[in-house]
Amino acid sequence: MFEQVFTLLAGTLYGLVIGLIPAAGATTGLVALFSFIGIFGDPYLGVIFCMAVVAASTTGDTYTSVLLGIPGANSAAATVVDGYPLAKQGKATLAITAAVTTSTVNGIIWGLLTFTLLPWYTNLIMILGIPELWAFTILALATVGFVSNRWWFRSLCAIAIGLFIGAIGVDPNTNADRFTFGWQYLGDGVQLITLVAGLFAIPEMLEGFTRGQLATHRPQNNTSQTKQGILEVWRYKWDALRGGFIGAFVGMLPGLGGAMSDWMSYGATVAAHPDKKFSTGEIVGVIGPEGSNNAQKATSMIPTVLFGIPGASFAAVLMALFMYLGFELGTPDLVYDTRFFSSLTFGFMWATVIVGVFCLVFTPYISRIAYVPYKYYFPVLLAFIVWSCVQYTGGWEDYVMLALCSVLGILAKKFKFSRAALLVSFILAQRVENLTRQLVSLYNIETLITRPIFVIVILASVALLLYGVLNKNKLEYS
Amino acid sequence: MKQLFVALVIALGATTASADYTMVVPQKPGGGTSVWAEIVAGELERFLDEDINIVHIPGARDIPGFNTFHNEMQFDDKTIMVSHGGNGVSFLQEDVDYNYADYTSIGLMNLNIIAGKNRGIDLDYGGIRFAAGSGMVPEAFAMTMLVCGPDKSVDEYVECFKDNVTWVKGMSGGERRLAFKRGELNGTRENPAAYKKHVESDDNAEVWFHHGILQADGSHADDPNYPGYQFEILFEQRWGVAPSGEFYDAYKLVKSFRDGLQKALWVRSDNPNAQRLQQALLEMSQDSQAIAVIRDKVGDYEWIIGADGNAHRDTLMTFITQTALQNLVKFNTQALGLDSVYKPQLAKDD
Repeated sequence: MFEQVFTLLAGTLYGLVIGLIPAAGATTGLVALFSFIGIFGDPYLGVIFCMAVVAASTTGDTYTSVLLGIPGANSAAATVVDGYPLAKQGKATLAITAAVTTSTVNGIIWGLLTFTLLPWYTNLIMILGIPELWAFTILALATVGFVSNRWWFRSLCAIAIGLFIGAIGVDPNTNADRFTFGWQYLGDGVQLITLVAGLFAIPEMLEGFTRGQLATHRPQNNTSQTKQGILEVWRYKWDALRGGFIGAFVGMLPGLGGAMSDWMSYGATVAAHPDKKFSTGEIVGVIGPEGSNNAQKATSMIPTVLFGIPGASFAAVLMALFMYLGFELGTPDLVYDTRFFSSLTFGFMWATVIVGVFCLVFTPYISRIAYVPYKYYFPVLLAFIVWSCVQYTGGWEDYVMLALCSVLGILAKKFKFSRAALLVSFILAQRVENLTRQLVSLYNIETLITRPIFVIVILASVALLLYGVLNKNKLEYS
Repeated sequence: MKQLFVALVIALGATTASADYTMVVPQKPGGGTSVWAEIVAGELERFLDEDINIVHIPGARDIPGFNTFHNEMQFDDKTIMVSHGGNGVSFLQEDVDYNYADYTSIGLMNLNIIAGKNRGIDLDYGGIRFAAGSGMVPEAFAMTMLVCGPDKSVDEYVECFKDNVTWVKGMSGGERRLAFKRGELNGTRENPAAYKKHVESDDNAEVWFHHGILQADGSHADDPNYPGYQFEILFEQRWGVAPSGEFYDAYKLVKSFRDGLQKALWVRSDNPNAQRLQQALLEMSQDSQAIAVIRDKVGDYEWIIGADGNAHRDTLMTFITQTALQNLVKFNTQALGLDSVYKPQLAKDD
């Protein structure tokens, strides 16, 4: 038992540190594990460590999103929109406490549901065929209206740019390079972490550095903010639970991609509160998306474990690590390995709880970084971001790509092109294309209209898209 | 500016690790060959008594990594290239820089690929729904011949394929498995270890055919794990004659390069460390503990090491003829919609 607890604590600590590094989320933390995953003599300890990293990094990545306006990971980008303005108003502890509480509660709820019922989810996923997955992807794309800003033409351009960048790589039809401009490096597409870092992290850091900006000048009453943060979660409990539900559902869909869920939750929160001025520091704008990311991490394990289909980018790396440990995910007989499942549950659940408590206790102190001028930690942040982005190949191309994405991010911020809409479009571009090809190959309109889930989700997508586009309550955030 | 410089130096330093040998993997961490390389490198280090650093050079269809090895990294005496079956297929039909003839084999794994189908249906009469991809080309050839029979031109095979096969593009390996379980696809394929786990355990699935195991003399032998299901045997049972002709030669070419080079380690042809590496790999392959680790994690496959590996590669090279290459490219482009390139410089004259 001592070994399990020690491994859990080590994984939790490592995950928390990774979560605190801007742009480096669970995926980066897991990639870095390849160099020492072999040290686990007992492979089940490796499973505990990996799951603790996933849970802890997901909660920890809220900090830089709120304090610095830099997404702690892909799945925490939406938290920036209202979290960072709150920090500027001297309410960093409030925002982080609310975020951590929401994340922890949803992590526990959906973690328990996932790991307890995991072997029985097979039947559920089996009824969702290619048409339903396509429809859910379209539904996700429809949320782009809610995360666009009030400059609609520029938002439209941002969507087009996102779709174009998402189409860079291999054409699934011919298997040939597409939009790579003869640069082989682009053959594998633009990496998500690099785009997120370039779009969000670098522009915010540069602004903070060049202006010598402090996140806040106001003194903070951190103790009362901690209490208030928890109360705000109770006040907006349905938003928190809805965020968790959306995150859990998106995570469960094979291959949809976890970075999507927080934007969908954010969009749903915006739609549910037409009276609020989002992107100016609404606490519910933090609670909504933060509900989704831990829930999504938990349920992503369903398609990953049962079918070997990563539910998110972190899950793809996790699959490889588990294979290294001797567990091939997607293998039917793994479902009967009770020790494997108890290790998954133990690592994820306890790390969620430990990090939640840790963050609630120490957030008032960590939040004081908001008083420190950027210039003192800019080099360290930049070093961490660069490190995260060069985990892909480590070659000069990674640096060039980060520079290009940064230029795009800086221009988008300056000229108010919606970076959120650009990112959502990028994430979904390839998925929509591939599923559309599968759909038209195997189905026709006669067979599709006989599938009730497909029809309902498509109608919902159309309604959501129209509502989102016509919604007057547009974000200021770009 | 000074702070910025320091930050970049720190970041650069964090990504650089020192080791005695470098193993180049043409994928990002997490890919199947990356995992294989991590495991084999971990075991090989013990017999080499030196560290091996894995360098990932990912890119489209895993070509850029192998190209980089060919153009730059092979000239370092301590650099080893890891390739997989997909590289073998790309070598035949894409514009790549690398050429197996230029290297010395340290060792390779030769294996078979098994195709499965939904139980009880007879796909040899058409109605096939199968996941596409350049790695599926040998399956496309085999199913076309099984359905369409002997003595046809490539054009006729192309038309027959289009009439009988729904070639579903844009699917990952996991999605393919799930779609097969759900019945959206009625055929699939796996390597032997994955087949046991994903298809054999499925009550609704059964063996359709396999490609056979490449022998030293260039023939393909039946797989003792799935006796009687080799493509050549099934074809003869169905059509009364053994498969032959130009289309069959193209099939034999592409399946041999994919399955016969499923996982392989290469160094420059005059690399002074080649013999030492071969010896270490030989010792590793004879060590029950090391092999048990590799078998548990990536499957139980036969190793072909050193001179035998070079001979195996030389056998493969004899399959490359102008006609086989032309027919491979023609079927790829016209039937499968792949952007293939005919490379006459690869082939000997017919």
